Amino acid sequence: MSKTEFIEQLRSALNGLSEEDLKKSVDYYEEMIDDRIEDGIPEEEAVSGLGSIEEIQNKILKEIPIANIVKEKIKPKRKLGGLEIALLVIGAPLWVPIVLSLIITGLSLYMSFWTIILSLYVTDFSLFLSGVFCIVAAFMQTNGFATGLFLSGIGVALTGVSVLLFFGFNQIVKGMFFLSKKFVLWLKKLFVGEKKSSAEATAV
Amino acid sequence: MKRGLLDVCVLAAIKDEDSYGYRIVKDLSPYVEISESTLYPILRRLESSQMLTVRTAEHNGRLRKYYHITDSGVERLKQFESEWKELMQIYEYVTREGGSHEQN
Repeated sequence: MSKTEFIEQLRSALNGLSEEDLKKSVDYYEEMIDDRIEDGIPEEEAVSGLGSIEEIQNKILKEIPIANIVKEKIKPKRKLGGLEIALLVIGAPLWVPIVLSLIITGLSLYMSFWTIILSLYVTDFSLFLSGVFCIVAAFMQTNGFATGLFLSGIGVALTGVSVLLFFGFNQIVKGMFFLSKKFVLWLKKLFVGEKKSSAEATAV
Repeated sequence: MKRGLLDVCVLAAIKDEDSYGYRIVKDLSPYVEISESTLYPILRRLESSQMLTVRTAEHNGRLRKYYHITDSGVERLKQFESEWKELMQIYEYVTREGGSHEQN
């Protein structure tokens, strides 16, 4: 791939980002290729050594908050005409609830994500606490040896289970973070990247 | 851990004099695995957290960006140094004990 081809492909892979983000990223990679060529690396190799366009796209997208990406997509590209504004106002009862419900869905997804994590650890902690209380109660109670043995047995078991569960929950939370990162990247890719390129290709 | 480590490496690469992307990658490559596309997000992150500033200068008829470390960037390096001094002491302790155990 030549430098010009690479730059062109990168630009379309990042299409949808703000003008500033797009320019910064493209400028950076252009500078890298130029510096590599100046260092004596042949153009083909200078370009291929940077990695695939998709890898680069992923790395750039990971750093840009999803809110910025969505905002950029929604922002009108040109000044709206009078008729369009009028239609927007008339259509408000239709699109405002849709946009609002999308935002609320996003927020509730985010909240349930953290609530699940919180509830896992609260469950674990309460198991641990009840275990400790059982052991303490075993020594405090006055019902005799058998009750004490029973209580302390349950106490030890509960504490043990809570410790085991703690490690299990850590793994679950790790997995949740991993999946949510993938999900967010996938979401971002819905907004970024040239969609019209196929139409252009058929036009050519 | 690794991510923070790379940030520190990049700061270290520009601490003595301003440098540019390709040179940072070249300077760091004997020590850590870093590619141009890994460097890019790091530079942007460091810029937004004001650990470095960027200026554009002309080079061979094209533009090149030079990165300059700020005071808080220098501060971050100092912090890294003291953190690692502590860790190295622990490392020495741990490895020394292992060595003497083998000799027995």
